[in-house]
Amino acid sequence: MKAILRVALGLIAAIGGFVDIGDLVFNTQAGALFGYELLWAVPIGVVGIAVYAEMSGRVAAVTKRPVFDVIRMRMGLSTGLIVLVASLFVNLLTVAAEIGGVAILLQLFFDAPFMLFALVGALGLIVIIWITPFEGIERLFGYLGLILFVFVAAALHEHPDWHAVGGGFVPNGKSSTLYWYFAVGLIAAALMPYEVYFYSSGAVEEGWKPSDLLVNRLNAVIGYGIGGLLSIGLMMASAQLFEPAGVEPDHLGTVPLLAQLPYGETGLVLALLGMLFAIGGAAVDASFAAAYSIAQFAGWEWGKYRRASGAPRFTLAWLLFFALGLAVLMTGIDPLDLTEYSVVLSVVALPLTYVPVLLIARDRTFMGEYANGPVARVLGWVYLVVLCVVAVAAIPLLLATNAGGG
Amino acid sequence: MVVAAIALAGCGPLSRAELTRGVETLSAVAAEAQLVARGVASDRTRATYTRVQARTLAEDAAHEAEKLADASVDGEIARQRDQAVALAMRLDDTIGELETFPGSERTGSKVDDDLGAIADDIDKLTQRLTQGP
Repeated sequence: MKAILRVALGLIAAIGGFVDIGDLVFNTQAGALFGYELLWAVPIGVVGIAVYAEMSGRVAAVTKRPVFDVIRMRMGLSTGLIVLVASLFVNLLTVAAEIGGVAILLQLFFDAPFMLFALVGALGLIVIIWITPFEGIERLFGYLGLILFVFVAAALHEHPDWHAVGGGFVPNGKSSTLYWYFAVGLIAAALMPYEVYFYSSGAVEEGWKPSDLLVNRLNAVIGYGIGGLLSIGLMMASAQLFEPAGVEPDHLGTVPLLAQLPYGETGLVLALLGMLFAIGGAAVDASFAAAYSIAQFAGWEWGKYRRASGAPRFTLAWLLFFALGLAVLMTGIDPLDLTEYSVVLSVVALPLTYVPVLLIARDRTFMGEYANGPVARVLGWVYLVVLCVVAVAAIPLLLATNAGGG
Repeated sequence: MVVAAIALAGCGPLSRAELTRGVETLSAVAAEAQLVARGVASDRTRATYTRVQARTLAEDAAHEAEKLADASVDGEIARQRDQAVALAMRLDDTIGELETFPGSERTGSKVDDDLGAIADDIDKLTQRLTQGP
């Protein structure tokens, strides 16, 4: 029971992959445009990220090496540098998009200029990170992000056609490029590399040892399972409420309507709060993932468990990413466009992130008795193929569908 | 090359398919605004949320009106383009009432009805566009 309560790390990492600003809108659009027909893409993403998060957490617990350490060790300096640059670029876009998301939600609560709330939101997050220990950050954003279950409740409230829901978990082989753009986008979003950078570094922050491998497995399965469930809830609620009405959600502010329609003002407020914590948590995920990556690549002292004076360059790095994120937003780019491009561009870093994790996790000289068993081995290779297909398909689909605009 | 292709794609006259896509966008905006208006009419929402979301949707309608009005058109669909622009402007004005009176149940109910009428006109225009000349 105590182990089950220690799933905050998995929850906050999963929130970044399943219900951040882009995913909230993307899942809702998928339901509004295709009903239940894209539900199958969610479990594919959930199993894939759970498999690789479990591996990266296990490697961190056994060897004390988080993912970026492993990438540099296994792929060498020059390939490691390519992964670093690609992932930092994606992280920057993601941090900017999430700060933008926080600003939009504050606007929906209080109605004041967007840039003012972007500044307030970024400063608020910085203060929370500064004064709260790592475990506190995980719990605050991970557990309060669970308010998003209001969307699952909304989906159930509308009495779904369970036969049609079941049918949605079977790919239907549609020929529409837009359908496949959404399918690939949903899988790629679930597998965003910054989730495992954050997750494995978090495992080191929490001082996991081989005796914590059960906690690691529970975090991967429960954390990402809940992320997937929230994603399914959003898509189902949208299929039931938006598809028949002809709504095509293009804005973050449209998403809370899914809770407002069945539950009135209470549903609306719960949805806005849940989204605020989820998107705030994703901003923390992405900024920390960037700082972890740079520090681990450069061999700096890192970790929130050290005081700022104990890891000054690491601290400066996450602060810098918040500042750069704000600067990107000041250019006037729509946060949703940013997140859409960040998901698709992250595919460049996908195989280069996950191959070294797989290679180390199966290596008995490193991992000893904790090396991959037969299930992790098979799933790891299967998902490497899935990752490569996603990586090859994502950019052509982005161009062919005008980034989902049809 | 991609930049050049995108730039060139925006140069030709407005096609029937592009106009249809624009009208479909208006239909989606009207549908969403109706849901917001019903929340206001039944006093089941928050005024701040309504005001901000109505502003966003009204901007979408105004943007679509400008985009369609700026596009060059061949004679054949010029009339339908003008009708689409007029509908987008009506949509902008009607949603704007929600922004001004986000807490008024009477306004919510009236806007819901007005949006229903606009949505009917949008449907008729879509039918004419999809049936061809």
